[in-house]
Amino acid sequence: MLKDKEQTIIEVQQLKKSFGDDVVLKDISETVKAGQVICVIGPSGAGKSTFLRCLNVLEEPTSGKVLFEGSDLTGIKEEELNHLRQKMGMVFQSFNLFPNLTVLDNLQLAPLKVRRLSADQAQKQAHKLLTQVGLADKAAEYPASLSGGQQQRVAIARALAMDPEVMLFDEPTSALDPEMVGEVLKVMRDLAHSGMTMVVVTHEMGFAKEVADQIWFMADGYIQEKGKPEDFFAHPKTERAQDFLSKILS
Amino acid sequence: MKIKKLLLMLVFLMLGMLISFGHVQAAGDNYLQKVKQKGTLVVGTSADYPPYEFTVKKSGKTNYVGLDVDVAKKFAKNLGVKLEIKNMDFDSLLVALETHKVDMVIAGMNPTPERRKSVNFSQLYYRGNQYMLINKKDAAKYKNIHSFKGQTIGAQTGSLQYQLVKEQMKGNSIKGLAKLNDLVIALQSGKVNAVAMEEATAKAFAENNRSLKVINPHFDVTSSQTGSAIAFPKGADSMVTAANKTIKQIKQQNLINKKYIPQAGKYMTSNTKKSTMLNYWTYFAKGIEYTLLITAVSVFFGFLLGTLFALMRLSHVKIFHLIAVWYIEFVRGTPLMVQVMFVYFGIGTIIQSLPALVAGIIAVSLNSGAYVAEIIRSGIQSIPVGQTEAARSLGMSQREAYRYVVIPQALKNIWPALGNEFITLIKESSIVSIIGVGDLMYQMQLVQAATYKGVLPIFIAMVLYFIMTFGLSNVLGHFERKMKHA
Ligand SMILES: Nc1ncnc2c1ncn2[C@@H]1O[C@H](COP(=O)(O)OP(=O)(O)OP(=O)(O)O)[C@@H](O)[C@H]1O
Ligand SMILES: [Mg+2]
Repeated sequence: MLKDKEQTIIEVQQLKKSFGDDVVLKDISETVKAGQVICVIGPSGAGKSTFLRCLNVLEEPTSGKVLFEGSDLTGIKEEELNHLRQKMGMVFQSFNLFPNLTVLDNLQLAPLKVRRLSADQAQKQAHKLLTQVGLADKAAEYPASLSGGQQQRVAIARALAMDPEVMLFDEPTSALDPEMVGEVLKVMRDLAHSGMTMVVVTHEMGFAKEVADQIWFMADGYIQEKGKPEDFFAHPKTERAQDFLSKILS
Repeated sequence: MKIKKLLLMLVFLMLGMLISFGHVQAAGDNYLQKVKQKGTLVVGTSADYPPYEFTVKKSGKTNYVGLDVDVAKKFAKNLGVKLEIKNMDFDSLLVALETHKVDMVIAGMNPTPERRKSVNFSQLYYRGNQYMLINKKDAAKYKNIHSFKGQTIGAQTGSLQYQLVKEQMKGNSIKGLAKLNDLVIALQSGKVNAVAMEEATAKAFAENNRSLKVINPHFDVTSSQTGSAIAFPKGADSMVTAANKTIKQIKQQNLINKKYIPQAGKYMTSNTKKSTMLNYWTYFAKGIEYTLLITAVSVFFGFLLGTLFALMRLSHVKIFHLIAVWYIEFVRGTPLMVQVMFVYFGIGTIIQSLPALVAGIIAVSLNSGAYVAEIIRSGIQSIPVGQTEAARSLGMSQREAYRYVVIPQALKNIWPALGNEFITLIKESSIVSIIGVGDLMYQMQLVQAATYKGVLPIFIAMVLYFIMTFGLSNVLGHFERKMKHA
């Protein structure tokens, strides 16, 4: 499971994205290495979600390249893209669990239909992942009967069921009541410690400080500044970052 | 050389003319031959017009009887072919003839000049007088056409009586309905003050309803119009000639007065004797069977079509999208009744053997498809994009995301709306009775005609429709609750 620390998982080259005349991502070139945890922070509307969605091409970049383990995801065949996407788990702000399926079936659907695991394998794996996120007893429940924190943990387990190389999180705790944030962050922290490569868009500065290997500060469609959390939070270099930090820490 | 070329051109020219004109001409010679080849004479009639044509129940089966049916039988026998009767609305008869759904029409029809424009008539085979049916309590008031001043007169639309009332009772308003039974109900409930109809028919109604009475209002009838003739398609001279031979024979032997009318009279009284509704339960049962059959088959095809059109409408391929949008808008913007008639008579001109039942099912399915498409589309669009995105992020293709994530949820959401469509179709399918499909509505009309009772069959049909829709809605509700728990 643990990869060579120097291996590049994701490489973004001159990524640009616009919606009509609205240029949201202006020019981004970055790399994510195996086992790294990147926290992307920045003001609302900076383009964080758009950036994250470009990484697994849920959003088609306007120009530039997104390389996943060496293969360019832009301009490849649909089937290849579908295949590579399996290896990039994604967790959404609004969970997006399948409400018509039980927790267990939420975890089994894609492994059965896409990875083509046997029913037996899929079920075993689902139970293992549910134990990992602390929800072993909820297998037969429907999402609607779970709390927000539980639903988000199921969503993480669902993404993990595809055995991904990297996990993308888009503000996984912003839709939660404050008392449930902790349980989700704990699962993410455990995941980080197990060596998972992660890109996390978040407003949880405590989590970012503690878990991130690197902070990417994003504003106006650029990554304005990046660095180790201890450096970034103590001595932000750019004015934008200083401004942003003073606002959220006050 | 030149002459040869010219000749060749001439030959081509004539060939072209033959192809374009030959259709009509050749057919004129062919009509009789075609019937003989088929071995059946298909006769259109409107069997609610005793003693001309009406139905009786004999050991559970519906039989068409009356003097017209006897004339048709005689004609078929002379031709050496079998007789097949197609029963439909009087108004639809001539269209059916023009579109070759039937070989001839015999329905106590008067050969008016208007009708002569579109069809060919045989000689008259029977002359009856034009009478008026009134409520008994008005007997003192009404003597002849001049004593009806300012009153409303009912008559069957498209009938000779309708013409007579319009032309000779100018001071009266006229109410036209397609079915005599409905006119008699209108009379009994005071909606009209009298109904103009043929002598024998009027007498039959009066005999079976104590509150009704018959008078001869002395319409001025020029003899050429008062009488019944058989209608054939334009150009079917061979058939007209053959029919006239049979008519001559019938007249020589005075068969109509001596044999056919007394026979019809017997059927009419025997119908009256057993005119409790219980005797006609097989009619209603058959009607329910057809109504459910039409509905179920139409729901099935409507669902397939609806899914197809919904996906087309949501498609990014422009031409698919446009086709679906126009289809849906067009079907939803036109009445089902017109669609049913268009399919039966319109498509019927291309495929002449298209049975009314199939035409009805096609029309109702096509209609339902448009409504179901909108239900399915709104169902699919009601699923949040987050669901598709979650599916795609797990590596599913667009198709897989639709199939495993979006569609199952959409179906669950639209289940009640689909159930409603099913129930709506049970009711709406009653329209197919106008082209003679034997659904519940149609059977109700047969019972009306056979029993001379107007309202009771309507009431029974209404209750039966309600039992079907209410039962179905309960069954669907049961499944809906089950699905919610699942
Ligand atoms: N599908 C879209 N169509 C048009 N504009 C879009 C679309 N998605 C995002 N945008 C625009 O792009 C800009 C960046 O949006 P994005 O969601 O990436 O910001 P963000 O940094 O994630 O903000 P937040 O912290 O509020 O989530 C916004 O101005 C938004 O309106
Ligand atoms: Mg965002």
